[in-house]
This record gives sequence, C-alpha cells and structure tokens, in this order.
Amino acid sequence: MKTNIFPIKLLFVFVLSLSFTACNDYLDILPKGERIPTTLSDFEALLRDEYGTHRLDASNAINLLNDRYQTIANLNYYPLTKANYMWDENANRIELNNSDETMYYASYASISTCNLIIEHAPTATESTDAERNEVIAYAKVLRAINYFYLVNFYAETYQENNAATKNAVPLITNANIGASYQQLTVKGIYDFILNDMQEALPFLKSESPTPLHPNLGTAYAFYARVYLQMSNYTKALEYANLALAENGQLYDWTTYYSENKTQIETPDSYTTTASPTGHYYIENYYFRHGASSYSSTENPISVERKAKFEDGDARAAARWKVRTVGTETYCVSTTRGFFNAGGITTTEVYLIKAECLARSGKYSEAMNELNKVREKRILSEKYVPLTASTEEKAIEYIRRTKDNELILTIIPFADARRYNTETKYARTLSKVVDGQTISLSPASHMWTMPFPMGAIKNPGNGTIIQNVSK
Amino acid sequence: MKKIVAFSIFMIFILFNIDKADAQNNTKSEFTVSGIVTDEDQLPIIGAVISVKRDGKITGGTTTDSDGHYTINARSESDSLIFSYLGYIPRNYIIGGRRVLNVEMRSSITGLDEVVVTGYQTISKERATGSFSKVTSGTLDKQRLSDLNTLLEGQVAGFTGGLLRGTTSMYGTTQPLYVVDGFPIENVRYDAYTGNATEGLPELNMEDIESITVLKDAAATSIYGARAANGVVVIITKKASKGKVQVSFSSTFTFSPYSYYKDGLTNSGDIIDIEREWASNNKSLQGTDAPAYAQRMLDSNIYPTQGITSILNYYTGKISETELEQKLNTLSAQGYSYYNDVEKYAKRNPFYQQYNLSVGKTTDNNMFKASITYRDNKQADRYTDDQSIGVNITNNLEVTKWLKLDIGTYNYYQKQNKQSYDALSPGYKYMPYDVLKNTDGSNYTSLASSRLTKDNYALISDYGLYNMDITPLNELGLNRAKTNSFQNRTYGRLNIAFAEWLNFSSMFQYEYGSDQYSKLSTKDSYAVRSRVNNMASRTNNTTVFNIPYGNIYNTVDFYSKAYTLRQQLNFDKTFGQKHQVTALIGNEVRENKYEISNNTLFNYDPDILSYTLIDAATLAKGVSPFWGGTFYSSDIASRSEVTNRFVSYYGNAAYSYDDKYLFTGSLRWDRSNLWGTASKYQNKPIWSTGLGWNIDKESFMTIGWIDRLKLRTSYGIGGNIAKDKAPYMVAYYSTNANVGGTQGSISSRPNPSLSWEKTTTTNIGIDFALFKNRLSGTIEYYNKYGKDLLSSTMGVPTEGFGYSTYQINNGEMRNRGVEITLSGDIIRTKDFTLNSTLIYGYNKNKVTYVNVEAPVYYLQIDYPTAYPRIGNPYQAIYAYKWAGLSADGLPQVYNEKGDVVSSVPTSLDAIVYAGTTVPVHSGSFSSNIRYKDFDLSFMLIYETGHKMRNTFLPTLGTSYSSAAYSYITNITATNKDIVNRWRTPGDEAHTNIPRIIFAESPFYSSDLYSIYANADINVIDAANLRLSNISLSYSIPRNICQKVFLRNARLQFNIENLFTLAKSDEAKYLLGGYNSPNYVWGLYLNF
Repeated sequence: MKTNIFPIKLLFVFVLSLSFTACNDYLDILPKGERIPTTLSDFEALLRDEYGTHRLDASNAINLLNDRYQTIANLNYYPLTKANYMWDENANRIELNNSDETMYYASYASISTCNLIIEHAPTATESTDAERNEVIAYAKVLRAINYFYLVNFYAETYQENNAATKNAVPLITNANIGASYQQLTVKGIYDFILNDMQEALPFLKSESPTPLHPNLGTAYAFYARVYLQMSNYTKALEYANLALAENGQLYDWTTYYSENKTQIETPDSYTTTASPTGHYYIENYYFRHGASSYSSTENPISVERKAKFEDGDARAAARWKVRTVGTETYCVSTTRGFFNAGGITTTEVYLIKAECLARSGKYSEAMNELNKVREKRILSEKYVPLTASTEEKAIEYIRRTKDNELILTIIPFADARRYNTETKYARTLSKVVDGQTISLSPASHMWTMPFPMGAIKNPGNGTIIQNVSK
Repeated sequence: MKKIVAFSIFMIFILFNIDKADAQNNTKSEFTVSGIVTDEDQLPIIGAVISVKRDGKITGGTTTDSDGHYTINARSESDSLIFSYLGYIPRNYIIGGRRVLNVEMRSSITGLDEVVVTGYQTISKERATGSFSKVTSGTLDKQRLSDLNTLLEGQVAGFTGGLLRGTTSMYGTTQPLYVVDGFPIENVRYDAYTGNATEGLPELNMEDIESITVLKDAAATSIYGARAANGVVVIITKKASKGKVQVSFSSTFTFSPYSYYKDGLTNSGDIIDIEREWASNNKSLQGTDAPAYAQRMLDSNIYPTQGITSILNYYTGKISETELEQKLNTLSAQGYSYYNDVEKYAKRNPFYQQYNLSVGKTTDNNMFKASITYRDNKQADRYTDDQSIGVNITNNLEVTKWLKLDIGTYNYYQKQNKQSYDALSPGYKYMPYDVLKNTDGSNYTSLASSRLTKDNYALISDYGLYNMDITPLNELGLNRAKTNSFQNRTYGRLNIAFAEWLNFSSMFQYEYGSDQYSKLSTKDSYAVRSRVNNMASRTNNTTVFNIPYGNIYNTVDFYSKAYTLRQQLNFDKTFGQKHQVTALIGNEVRENKYEISNNTLFNYDPDILSYTLIDAATLAKGVSPFWGGTFYSSDIASRSEVTNRFVSYYGNAAYSYDDKYLFTGSLRWDRSNLWGTASKYQNKPIWSTGLGWNIDKESFMTIGWIDRLKLRTSYGIGGNIAKDKAPYMVAYYSTNANVGGTQGSISSRPNPSLSWEKTTTTNIGIDFALFKNRLSGTIEYYNKYGKDLLSSTMGVPTEGFGYSTYQINNGEMRNRGVEITLSGDIIRTKDFTLNSTLIYGYNKNKVTYVNVEAPVYYLQIDYPTAYPRIGNPYQAIYAYKWAGLSADGLPQVYNEKGDVVSSVPTSLDAIVYAGTTVPVHSGSFSSNIRYKDFDLSFMLIYETGHKMRNTFLPTLGTSYSSAAYSYITNITATNKDIVNRWRTPGDEAHTNIPRIIFAESPFYSSDLYSIYANADINVIDAANLRLSNISLSYSIPRNICQKVFLRNARLQFNIENLFTLAKSDEAKYLLGGYNSPNYVWGLYLNF
C-alpha cells in the first residue's frame, strides 16, 4: 500500500481539530430575548409584570353584590355568574365553578412571583444588602395583599371568636415545582399577613420606584385595611393616620366633571373620556388592576345601582351613562383607561379612618373625614356636609360612600361580610326579577366563594378542602 | 425517458465488482472495442458509461451515443470493460479476444443492486441492514416537480402527512430531517403570516433531484444522532455523465380553475329563512314595544344584514309588509350572489409556470453541472404572485490521484407579492345575497352607517374622523405585502485518499438566507383609516390624531446563517477476499442562527422616504376615547435572535462475510447549547446495531425463480430534542409601557431533570426479487418505542402556574407497524410494458405511559395531545357521547352517569375516545403503462382508519358583539345541511341537527354549541382515496429528434388531484376534495 506524506500530516490536523472542538465554551451561549434571572434587577423586573403580578379579578364577589350589570345573554352564557347574580342558593357553585377562576389562579401566580423573589433575591448579584432587602420587602407586602384577597373571598370573614377554627386558604411560600403547602385557618392566614408586613416595614421607603412597588404609605394603608377587617378599630385608626401622613391627596372629580361637562351631559353620546384613575392617579398608594390589565372601559352597572349614588356625584356621572341595548336598559361605562380595582387609594383610608372614629363615638370627626371625600365628589351646587349623631347613622353614611367609591372592587364585598356579623349592620339584599322578589340573607352560604375545580382537582403537593358546601 | 446521468459515487462502487473468473493473457498493443448497449427491450441506451479497468484501476472511459453505440480504446486483453448506467445493473466483461461487444443491460429499478446514500456515506443496498426507501428521478418524472412537500406522497411506505412511521414525539420536532448532498438543512425562513421564524423544507432546483432516500429505522438514521428519531430524507442531486456537453430543458404550465365550495353552503334563500325565524322567535318583536325595540336594534346595528335590517324597518313602520315581503323575496332569490361576485371580480384562476435549463459535462478528471430554474406562480388572489429563480452549480475536480475537491453553490432569489385583503373576509358581515358590484356596474361600498352603532357613526362627523366605508373591490389592490428573499448555500469538500482503503474528507457548508418583507398600507385603505381613527383622542375639544393620517410602512428583515463543518475518516478494506470491513469516524460542528427585526413607520412617504415620529409611549398607555384602539410597543419595533449550536462525534462500522452475513453498528454523541447548564444529560450516546443475511447468496439457494432474498434486522436508539425547553429557570423581558423600566415574567421554572428524548426502534425486513426481477418488494415490521418523551404536566394552580403546562421526560409511546412495497412488471415486451407498484403502511400508535390528566373537562377536548390517555393513540379525538335531540330540538349528550343532558358534562368520565387523526392504513397504488412512445401513469393514494372532527357544522355559532355588549348568535352562511334542522316537535326522530337557538331565546346557552360540536356524531370518518396524479406522455420518435439535434424529447400532460373519494361530503370538503384539480402541460427536451 502506497501512502502519501502530505495526507498523513492532514490526518494530524483532523485529530487535533477533533479535540479542539470539544471546547465547552462553544456551547455555553444562551438564548436571547430571555434570560436566567441572576441579578437583583432581573428579579425586580418581575414586579413590573402587571399581568402576572398585579391583577385582582373578584368578578364573582362583584356579581353577588349586583354591583356589575349582567345582560340576560351573559347570565345564560355563564351559569356561575347567574347563580351568584340571581342569589340562587340551590345552585351547586362548586360544580359550576368547574374550571379555572382568575381570582384564584392570578392571585397564586402573583404569590409565586413573590415567593420566587423572597427566595432568590438574597443571593441576587449586582446589588447591595439594602437594595436586596427593599426588593424582598416589596414582595412580602404584595404577597400579604394577595393572601388578604384570597382569604376574604374563599373563606369566612375574620371573627375574633372563631378565626382560629375556620379553615381558610392554602398557604404556599415556595416557588419550586412540587412545593408543599398547607391550608391554614383564617387566623393563621391573618397572622401570616401581619408577620409579612412586620418583616417588610423596616425596609420600605416613602417613595418607591413605581406605583406597582409598595411604599411606606401602601404598607400603612394596607395595615389599616387588615385591622379594620379584623374589627381592630384602634390599630386601624393608628395606621390610617400614618398612611394619610404619607399621602392624603384626593382627586377633585367635580373639576373633571366641569372639564368634560359637554360629553358627560349629552344623553346619547357614549364617547369615552380619558379616566384619571390610572397608575399615577394621585390617590394611589399602590396600583393593581382589576379583571383586565389593559386599557379599557369599566363594567356596566344597573340603573338601580346607579340610583344608590348620591345626587350630584360627579364621579358617577362621569363614569356611567344610561343606555338601552336591545331589550335591556342599563348604565354603560363612559371613561376609558386604567382602573385601580385591586390596589389601595387614599379614599379608602379616609373612609377607614371615618369608620374607626365613628366606632369610638367621635361622630363629627368621622363625618369630617367623610366630607373630605364627598367634597371632591359631589358637585358644589348639590353638596351639603353630612352630620351624624349616632354610630348607626354615621356608619350608614360612611358605608354608602365607601360602597360607591370602591364599587367594582372586592372591598364592598369584604365590608358586607364584616357588617353581616354584626346584627345592627347586617343587611339582606333584595331585588325584583320578573315580578318576583328575591333576596340574599346575611347568613347565606353564598357569601363564601367555592374554590375552582381546577385547583381542587390538581392540588399539587397538598390538599384543599372547600369552605362552602355549594 | 432515459436520463443521461451517471453517478460519481457509482463509479467508485464499480471498483468492487471485478470479475476475476477468466483472466487471460496480456497483449501490449492498443486496440479498440466497440458495440451497442441496449436495455432488456433491445432499445439503445444513450449515455451509458463504459470504463476500462486495468489492474484494479479505471484507466479510461466513454459514453454511448444516441444510437447506444460506443468505441473505446484498450491496451490489454485482460483489461475489463465496465458498463454502467443509472437504474441498471452494472456489467463487467474481460475483453479477451473480443473486439465487438454488444451488451444488454438489466434494469435495477426493481432489483437490489442499488446504492444507499445516507449523507455520511454511500453503501450498497446489498450490504445495508437498515430500512431505506429510495425514490429515483425515473419515478419522479411522472409528476410535476413543484414542491418537496408533495413529492414523496405515496412514494414511500410509512410516509404520510409529512411524518414517517407516525408521531414519535409529543413536544419535540416530528418532521424528518432533510439532507441535501450530504448536509442537513433546516431551512429557517420568515413566515409573514405568523411573524415567526419557521423551519421549512430545503429549497432546491427540483429537476436536479437524482434520488431521494428515506432512512427509516435506527440502523439507517442513528448516524444523524439526536435529530434522527423522526427519520431522515436524503436528497442527492444529478451529476453529468462523461462525454459531450449535455443540455436539458423543460417547461411546465399548470392551470387550476378557481374553486370555492359554495354548493355546501346555505344560499340566500336559506339565510332569509333563518333571518325570518330570528324575527318570528324574537319575543321583543311581538308586543307593543316592538317598534321601539326594532329602532334600537337598528341604531346599534347588532345584526347589520340586509335581511334583518329590512325586517326591523318593517317593525318600525318605515316600510310596509308588502315592501318587506318584496325585499325578502328579492334577497331570497339571489342564490350565491356574493360568492359568484368574488369569483368574478376578486379572484382568478391560478396559473403556474416553471422552466428549467441544465448544462453538464464530465471529463476524465472534472465534472461540471449547472442548472437554472425559473418559476412564475399566480395565485387565486389577484395580487398574490411570486417569481423565483434558482441557480445551482457544482464542480467536482480530481486535483491529483489522491486529492478530490468538490465545490457547489446554490443561489435562490424569490420575489413575492401578497394581497392582504380578502374579499371573503371583507371587514364586515356579508351574506350570500350581498354583492361586490352594484347593478349600475359601480363597485359596492359597505357604508359605515350600516355597520357602526348610531353613536359611533355620529363620532365620525362630530369629531372629524376619517371615513369608515369599505369598498372591497377598491381594497383588493391596496396594502400589498412584498417579500424579497435570497438564499445561498455553498459547500466545499476535500477528499484525501491516504490509501485505496483509507481516506479522509473534510467538508464545510455555509448557508445564508435573507427575507425582506415590506408592507405599505396606503392611506386610502380602510385598514389605515380605521387604525388612525382608533388611536385618535380628544384634547381641549379638538380631535388629536395620535397616529398621523398617512401611509403606514412595516418592514421585517430576517437573516439566517448556518454552517456545518464535518471531518471524517473512511475505511474500506477486504481481507482475504471474504472479510469486508467498512468504517468511519467523524466529528461535526453545526451552528444555526437567525435574527428578525421588525419596524413600522407612520405617515411614510415612499417617494421622499420621510415619516412622522409618533408618541408611542403615550399611545401604549391607551389614549383613545372613541373605539378603544390598543397600541403595543411591538407596533413600533421588535427584534429577536436565536442561535443554536451542536457538536457531534460519530462513528460506524460494518462487516460482511462473503457478502452473505452482514453486521453493522453505529454510535454518536451530540451536545448542544440548547441544554445550557445541564450538560450531564448530553453524554448519552445514540447507537444502533443491525444484522443482515443475503440468503440468495447461499449455495443451498438453488430455487431458480428467486433472484434476491435478504433478511435484515436492526435495533437502536434515535434521539430527539425540543428546542424550546430548558432545565433552568428562564424569564423573558420587555419594556413596561405604563410605569417604565423592564418587566419580566417567568416562562419556565427550574426543571432540572430535562433530557433528550429516546426512541428505540426494532426493525425486521425482508427484501426479495422473484421471476427474473419481475416481482420485487420489501416487507418490514417495526416497533418504535419512545421513552423519556417530553410530556406535559398541568401547572398546579396553587403553585401559581394553573394556566400553564410544563414538560417533563416521562411520556412513553409506541408506534408499531408493517410496511409493504410490491412492484411488478406485469407485462414486459418491446412495445408494451405495464408495471404496478403497491405501497402499504400500517401504523398503530399507542401512548403507554403519561402522568397527566386534564385538570378540567374541556381541556381534554380542546387539547387532546396535551392530555393523552394511556392506551389510546397520541393524536386522539375526544368527544361526548351523543344522545340525540331533545323534544325541544336541543342537542343532548350523555354525562358520566349515563344521564341525558343538554348542558356540558363537566366530568372527564363523560368524555370518550372517538378515534385517531393519524391514518392507520395508508399507501398508494400506481401503475405505469407504456405503449411504444406513449406512457400513461397514475397514482392513487389512500388513507383509512382515522377520524376527523367535523368543523363544518350545520349550526350557527356564537360571537361577541361589542354593540350588544354580549354574545349573540352569529347568523351567517354555514353548512347547507342546516335546512334539515329540527323545526317542529317530532323532528328529533329523524334529524340530529339541532334547532337554531338565537341569543334572544331563553334556551340560549354557550353549552348548546359546545356539546353539539364536541359530540361523537361530529367525529367523522376521514378515510379517503385520492387520484393524486395521472400523466400521459409522448416521447417524440428518435428520427424526428435527430433532425433537430435532440437526444430525446417528451411531451407530458398531467392532472393532479383529479378526484377524492371520502365517506361524507363534510369529510371530502375538509380534506380539500372539492378543490379543483391542477392541469399540467410539460415539455422536456434533452440535447
């Protein structure tokens, strides 16, 4: 066999190149457009994800209160909506809630993001300890807010005498696949919330980077809300004052009204005006979307519901206008933009403060706080300052304004459940449908929502027990 | 028919066919040998290669002329002459005393003396142990060579719907890997329709295809490693044969009449009937409030059709009952007016032209070939067309005895125009009675006032917005998208022979592709007017157009780059005459990269190239008070970039004893960047082994009618990857338009146990040829068992991932099947031949293990492949059990307890398996009949044993109406069978078509449509038989050809997809059986 010298040399080149290409660096390139989070800002960016982290879809609570108008077609289309909206106590809502429910899914998605940050931020790179602690504090406040909504939707309301025995919602604190969790009691969840807040508070500042990042005002306001829900009026008042010291601004809707007077007052024109209630609404401590996270209009409300607003309420006049579509007449939304349906605003804190004052017998001080809000809402020609001489009257006024101001959020539902535990404030809802009067009693099981079947049937590493029989 | 081609690889192969039986004395003087080479029918073979071989080396060669005649010089009587021609069995003769040597060559098309090209090596089929199917240019000649996708249809047993031997992966790629001239090609292109990069079939000049080899089992494919589990399709292009310059020209014209299956749709009369029913069932039109209700419905234009508008006009008193009747009767009589107008004014008959010219010449140490293909396609949409030109040049040079250099380049340029407006979805609701041309001949305009709600319409004049009318026939030519594409593929290959039995090859291929997409939306178009209006806002009582009124120009630049570098050492030696060993080892490095950048300019002036800056940041926050337009940051620009890298080491070896007993083995490691940090999963090799036995070579095999008989078996592992899965936590990032900064979200959580998918294949095959090769075929059995398949697991809602699924390697799936290929020369005489080929493939797929259950009932129905059920095929259809219509005409199904219900059963137990979407039996029957100069061939393709969900339902769906603020019944043209719907009690006894429930009815519910659409009665048999191609060709007689210097010439007429037979009209429609056939005229010349 004759061989050539030159090709033999090439053979060496071949062998050499074989070993050269084994170099691992060649394969260590990572995909673009996505990233393995490592730096603190990689994790912090998760807090700016509005769809994933800042949504609250309390639709079924809003339906139960009849705060949102539902067309007949919609009711036919969504049986669960119909059961809640029509107060059908016989309906098996566990069966009707047969797939996902954004309330549950989006809240736990947000919790998972918070858990991830709380776990990974301590080792995140390119940051100082102070920066890491601040990001962790944001995540803890947001996690607490999520658990507050969940416990006030899927479990019975907090009552000092039985909170330790009532089952609440699953508590999960780890973002790994297959993380274990436990369904705690109502008290357990509240304790967890308060603990998270306590751990977060030292690291929060008066100013945060965006309205999606909780600042000190958010924490105080949320504390006030939590303590109010626990009927701890002293603590609630204390935090309400702290929150208002951080931000006490109120938006003047009467000015908005006069700026958009023509549009608002033209009866058949449904052109929307830009809503001021977006991310940088001056009343915001913290901004969180409702059911939709994009720029949109609000849900319609019924004519009866609109009648419950005070005469001359500029905010209501700017938001809805009566309209007949097909056979149905109701009030459609006339402002467009973003709506803080899941965050916390100064209005709520003023009204928490008012209630706490009223509960401690300071009626005129309570009315003062209420009137601060009303002044910015009721057109000057209709505005009369309210006074009250009893707790009941004061609460009635405060509750009316709070129900209206926070309509289409979960707060009126949470408040109603709280009032339902007090004989003097418990209310039976009633309405006339096709000539029949139907009602919802304060003691009804319907005030607690069933977990969605998607969560029950795919529980992961834990078990979930329904808190309501149907 | 005879293609003048020879294969260089073929030539090398001849080396092993030395007949040493009758060696004779040597003589030193040079002399000539001449003769005629013919085929079995005594017809001369043109371009057959005759080589002289002395001392085991080729020393010269020639080719036969147009009469099949040759003359060649020889120096010794012990020299041998080797006659070879593609598709024929090579023949060897020691010259001896002969000076005239006439040779009759036998066809190998049905024989087994073929070579198999795996892309890494070329081996004789006789020595292969793997499963290969080969399609040669002779077979491909029967059809129009338009695209690779349809080329293999019916040609390869087990190949159906672009998949080979069923689906072997749940989340990974399921398409086979395509390899052209030795290089894998993942032609990534920009898809303007989805806006993404998609992997397509390789681009090449189809007429250049010499052969396509499909590698099916592990022994055949494992050399391709981690991408081989789905099979490999190896394409080899033609080379020129030795002799004078060869020139070929061909052209085809394809005509396809425009067709739209309107006959299956409701006509005007049926629609008017439904609209009348809407009115008569509507309680609101019955009381005293009727006029007010009718007026409100008119004001909000919830049902903006002529029929319902007329009815409502009657209720408001605008027209009398007689006028209404007159109007409805007129509309009713319009038949398919809209569809007829579409055909007449908006569409055309598609027409495709294709020209190919190729030139080639081979000398003793150089082979050159160039081809050019030009295509001009005009589609049914009047402004959709494309032109392309492909230039392919290859040159193989023998630099020295031991060094060969091959270079080749393929360049492809394509220009496409795409009409973006379709008259069949014109931007408003149309009915069969509508028109595109008015009676006076002017173009029909859909007025904004007829579609928008009264107050939205008022905005146009109140706030000075732009007109919202739509004139479809004017819109047709506007906003056309253009794509200019360029692709280049260049390779070089160096082959160094150290010794006759050892050589080294190094090859490099670089691919470059660019697609430049642009769309100029002109300001006259409805799309621009609507966009500008939707993004307008009010400030200080003036209307602000946040998007300036003007042209909108969108461009996308896409670039792809890829290279492959391969180095390989080949060994081939026979020891002691009986022990033959071939082996190779090699290494391959591959990178694919692509980039997309997308930009939009507003108020663009195409002449002075200017545009207006817009305030995108504000727009993205949502500014429009009018119709709620939305604006995303990607409406300005977006970018993406992907790089994949692979490094592989591989080797294989084959041993054969006396050409009787064969043993092969193959091993490969792959590593890629796709698995990032988790390299521990990359070290698993992919391997295979195979055994073969050429029984016919045994001395005891003396049965005369058996020409070939071979038994082979193989076992091995193929891999597969899912490119978008990673074992580590990945987040993707974008800009937050509302609060600023970067927002991120987790796209996959840490999933550290991810690895390659592994598919084990066992293959047993028998190859045979009987009765002088008149009947030949292959029978194979395979069992492909996929393990560690990525299968989905539903995210746990409480863990925060309730809407998403993630993948883990825990699926197991089996594909078992039998493949039979039978080919017979039924008649074989000089003037008349008839041969037929029957291809049959049986595939049974079964999911044997998954650990997932649909968390919610409807996911089982909507995403069956995400939630496979053990024991069923992977591509299953799940349905409710139909329980007939209720006494009220409502659809009913059985729930999990066996009760009859009219609502959606929410238990998984109520959902039953209703069939697989993948054919269980598939194949083809083709025949070729030649009588003198005429050739008639056809191919029938069949598929049975599978089902499809009927989506062409005789019922009305539901759609959201923003005017009604709710869901309404979508009254529109639908399956004509709706005329047989339930109308009166008792009808339920003889119809399964539910009554129409309008949104205004108390019965109305989303469930009704769901249970009907998802009931098992709407899972229909998809069995079909299709005459995919029929061709008649006429070869112009030789004496006429010679007068015009032609070697041969052929005229051919084809009809593609002449008919489809299916079990039902719906199945036929959904299978495309009502599309009109293509008529093809072709001319093929060889000089």
